[in-house]
Amino acid sequence: MNPSNPPQAAEYGGDEVSAIVLDPGYSTTRAGFAGEDAPKSLIPTYYGKYNADGQEKLVFGDDIFVTPRPAMSIHNPIGKDGIVEDWDMAEKVWEYSFTSRLTGTKPGNPFLNGLNDIPAEELPTEMEVELEEKSLADSPLLMTEPAWNPAKAREKTIEIAMEKWGTPAFYLARNGVLASFASGKASALVIDIGASNISITPVHDGMILKRGVQHSPLGGDYISSQIRALFKKNSPQPITITPHYLISSKTAVEAGQPPQAKYRTYPADKAPDASYRALLEERTLSEFKECVVQVWPGPNKLSATGPTGASNEEMARSTPGRPFEFPDGYNQVFGVDRFRVVESLFDVKAAIPDPDSPVPAPTQAQTIPELIKASLGGVDVDIRPHLLANVVVTGGSSLLYGFTDRLNHELMQLFPGPRVRISAPGNTAERRFGSWIGGSILASLGTFHQMWISKKEYDEHGANIVEKRCK
Amino acid sequence: MGKRPKLKVTGKKKPKTTQKESPRKDSPEKTSPQKGTQREEPPVFLARRRSNMPPFKDEHILLIAPGSQMTLAQLGLPETFTPARFRFPTRMFPGQKMGEYEPYRIRERHQTVNTSNGNGAQTTDPPKTDVEMKDAESAGQDGTGNNEPTEKTEKPAGDSADATDKTEAQPETFYEEDVTSDEGAVYPIVNGRIVHWPSFYALLTHVYNALSPPFHTPILMIGQPVWTARDREMITQFVFEKFKVPAFNIMDSALATMWGYGVPTALIVDIGKTKADVTAVTDFIPNEHGRGIAMKGCGGDAMTDRLVELLGPKGFTREMCEQLKRSNIAEILAPGTPLPGAAATAHQGTNPAAAASTGGQSGNDLVPRGPGEGTQTGTDTNGGEDEGVLDVAAIVSGDTTEYLAKIEKEKTTKKGGAEPKQKNAPNHQKEKATFQFEEFVPLDDDNAPASGSRRYIRHTREIEVGAERFLLATPLLKVKKRLTNGILEDLATQIHRTILAVPDATKRSELWDSLIIVGCGSRVRGFAQALLGVITQKYILSPSATIFTSEIPSAFSTPLPTGGTNTPAPMGQPGPMYHPAAHGVNPLLVAATHNNPPMAGATPGTPGMDPNMSAHHRSTGHSQTPNSVKCLRLPDYFPEFKHEGNRNAPGASHGPSATQGGHGAEEATFLGAQMAGRVIFVNDQGATKGFMTRVDYNENGPSAIHEFALA
Repeated sequence: MNPSNPPQAAEYGGDEVSAIVLDPGYSTTRAGFAGEDAPKSLIPTYYGKYNADGQEKLVFGDDIFVTPRPAMSIHNPIGKDGIVEDWDMAEKVWEYSFTSRLTGTKPGNPFLNGLNDIPAEELPTEMEVELEEKSLADSPLLMTEPAWNPAKAREKTIEIAMEKWGTPAFYLARNGVLASFASGKASALVIDIGASNISITPVHDGMILKRGVQHSPLGGDYISSQIRALFKKNSPQPITITPHYLISSKTAVEAGQPPQAKYRTYPADKAPDASYRALLEERTLSEFKECVVQVWPGPNKLSATGPTGASNEEMARSTPGRPFEFPDGYNQVFGVDRFRVVESLFDVKAAIPDPDSPVPAPTQAQTIPELIKASLGGVDVDIRPHLLANVVVTGGSSLLYGFTDRLNHELMQLFPGPRVRISAPGNTAERRFGSWIGGSILASLGTFHQMWISKKEYDEHGANIVEKRCK
Repeated sequence: MGKRPKLKVTGKKKPKTTQKESPRKDSPEKTSPQKGTQREEPPVFLARRRSNMPPFKDEHILLIAPGSQMTLAQLGLPETFTPARFRFPTRMFPGQKMGEYEPYRIRERHQTVNTSNGNGAQTTDPPKTDVEMKDAESAGQDGTGNNEPTEKTEKPAGDSADATDKTEAQPETFYEEDVTSDEGAVYPIVNGRIVHWPSFYALLTHVYNALSPPFHTPILMIGQPVWTARDREMITQFVFEKFKVPAFNIMDSALATMWGYGVPTALIVDIGKTKADVTAVTDFIPNEHGRGIAMKGCGGDAMTDRLVELLGPKGFTREMCEQLKRSNIAEILAPGTPLPGAAATAHQGTNPAAAASTGGQSGNDLVPRGPGEGTQTGTDTNGGEDEGVLDVAAIVSGDTTEYLAKIEKEKTTKKGGAEPKQKNAPNHQKEKATFQFEEFVPLDDDNAPASGSRRYIRHTREIEVGAERFLLATPLLKVKKRLTNGILEDLATQIHRTILAVPDATKRSELWDSLIIVGCGSRVRGFAQALLGVITQKYILSPSATIFTSEIPSAFSTPLPTGGTNTPAPMGQPGPMYHPAAHGVNPLLVAATHNNPPMAGATPGTPGMDPNMSAHHRSTGHSQTPNSVKCLRLPDYFPEFKHEGNRNAPGASHGPSATQGGHGAEEATFLGAQMAGRVIFVNDQGATKGFMTRVDYNENGPSAIHEFALA
């Protein structure tokens, strides 16, 4: 009757109390119950901060995209390299991700929530027990981490889970391993194209091969910076992105004509911070990536000459352009440029230079082919063919149109001998939530029971136990 | 639950029934067991039934839809679906014992009184109908039903017929019902979220007991999107363990709306009391990601707040603003419509005549009385008063219908004379308009029987407002936490975000064309239209004129959007709300032409491209959206669920609890609940695991609800 039903518990030999799987990323944080096929809760890792009535207020979740607040600034507790920088806020964001949709907020004392007027002496005593309850008191928690997560950060993570959230059992798994589990493989070369990072993780029998782990910052945010660089150079005029919140209405204009929109202004003391604008510009850019940007599918680079003798760029030029309209009504057809903005993921020379950009120009070693080469160079020769036959592509930015085709061509060029086989789920959700889905599978396996670090073990051995148990 | 006052059936003459009896007595009228038995028994899937459970029947299905303001409930599915038969305010009052909750506010009074020793001596019946029983009204009385609100006198029970037989004086603690305030009330649901579990459970128990279903009654609950997985488990546990139901399920409210509309893919905007939910449903699956859940400040209350802000300085109370919002003169005008007498609006002071008029009951002096009958002339004040206060004695002793008819006649003639000449002008051209304000006024006259219980009457008067009545969706000035331009813009932003978050890009265009706006907050006149207007202004893409004029091959006749008559027109006023530039352009055509190279002369339909390249091209659907935006219309199969049904008919709002009467398309969620109830419990009988049985519960515990929940 309802195809969205989660997989039956029987299929997974699931547990009665389903574990919570938390997959924190740079751009989004995913959380859901183990055994389900998609995370129930998907929130931005970004959070908003503003002042109201002299108090600092925090905004979590999708609300930051919808409601501008006075002088709101946007922050991210996770650093550009995917490692947590602000632990206090990371804890809050993560907690929001599962309390908002899964476990509910801690049951605050209803007699104190301001709705009820009850004299203090009448407050029932049994409520106090509930107040002690922690947000995850009855759910085991499986969390994911990047393969290069330092030991300090891992210990801090288990500390939060055990002490702040009171989880009875905990496990920390590498997201590369989980992504390979999600495609049903115990050994794979996982190529994860995220927002702030791209990473190559060789996984063998469910363990990462540490020496082969490579990562570089050429993720979705880098592509955004390339698109911005393109907009700056755009002719007939540079394009500025004006997010929807700054526009009260727009008028239809012809392609390439200056926009005619009614703008909204906010008083200087109330206008949201530049970081808020950047966040919302990013949303327009994601739409642009979805609708316009395309990866030159190969074979060969965009700058190379094709088999027919015509240059690839000429070929790309002859394909129909794709129109895009900006929030202010400006619209334009994007031709070959839409290939250029992503070309530097593969070919560093094609990067669109932008000296003003805060994002440093990429180096050759950061491109995907080089990373793969370096990664495979770090693993045993014997298992290389096996890894190449099991390339798993995951991460939201890998959904760029034509990405897997190009990757396939690049891999075949790099490694002409062994059979290269890419497995990339066609389903958008499976691609975006690869590591979460792997975690969901892992945590619901009956055999996973002995892997959990229980509260008791944590109390006995301290936070360091995570290093021993979660390899 | 300790002592619970009985429900009072709306009709005055109706003999008092005990709480348990009343719904049972009423229910046969609609669920009619005779008819029920004639109905063909649905096929029973014995193989899939996990226990030897007898099949469920239409008349034994309990639907409960809790909301922040009202909890809708119904036992049994009628032949043709109707709006919910019972409405319970979602609030409870702390009971005598700590931790217990009563559905009504009960006040203690210590005094020596003549108590009636009849039935229910200790409690008085609520003068306010807390539970609306449509059956009782429609069947019970003709002339005194809900349709003539002004004539209805709500009498406390203490003085009804049986109370008069034997009375004796005794010092006693007297409990009386307090209708005028809901002071001390506990609201279990705030912003859709269950914030207070004990009172929520008490509410469920109250609803269950009031409807008193037989044992073999499955329950279908409509769940708020904001409820977490754990919330659903707690409810499941409570329902199975407290009510011992044979089967239970929770259905997401957005999904229920879809069932009501009978469409697989739509974007649902549910405007509640203080929050709104925006959900994209594709192929009957709500998209959890990017869903706008319990958006604060986007409910109907936001509009009331705005009215209070505008009219508060003129002496309007919140209750007045609330009723103004519900009246048919409050309207959200389409963007760009000039306000009538716009220049005067800003400085419009209180009507001097109204300010001068101090006639009226005590307690009302501060309130400006509109220049209705009451202020026509100084001497007429009493006339206006008489209109509200009915001579109770006359009703009790004499023939009710006759008496009320007489009053009504008098009133209409009087009103006819006072009616302004602008009568026929459309609302949005009138600078001022009046609405009927109803309130409960304590009746302090001398001839009140010394029963100790206070009497209230429903008092109606007319209040005039200026152009403020068109400004209810404009942004609040006071709210410091937001910078947005009112609730329509917040909703539009959320809709945009929700649709863009739908992973299946090919569905987005369809979603924009299938907006469903439900929830009582959307009943304000012009709401849907204005929301479409905001979306059009901000988000509709302009199909670049160059592309269209040059690229439409002449072989293509410009098709009408999805073909003429079948086009679902937007709610409310006629005339589809397209972007001018997009008018008459098929979205598919837009997509197709957008894919064509501006220079290459392509053959129609096939985007001209190198054959090698074709594999690398996106499907034509994957373009930017929206090219158009439309509202879906509720199918006409259920005449009771009409758009703009009889709502806003003069006097459709009934006093402070004014949620009776005139429920229509905005309650499509409940219509869907009834359909779902029939399909999953009666037709399907669990063949596709459409509900959780007691056996499932016993085996797997409350968390198994997620395997069944329709969400």
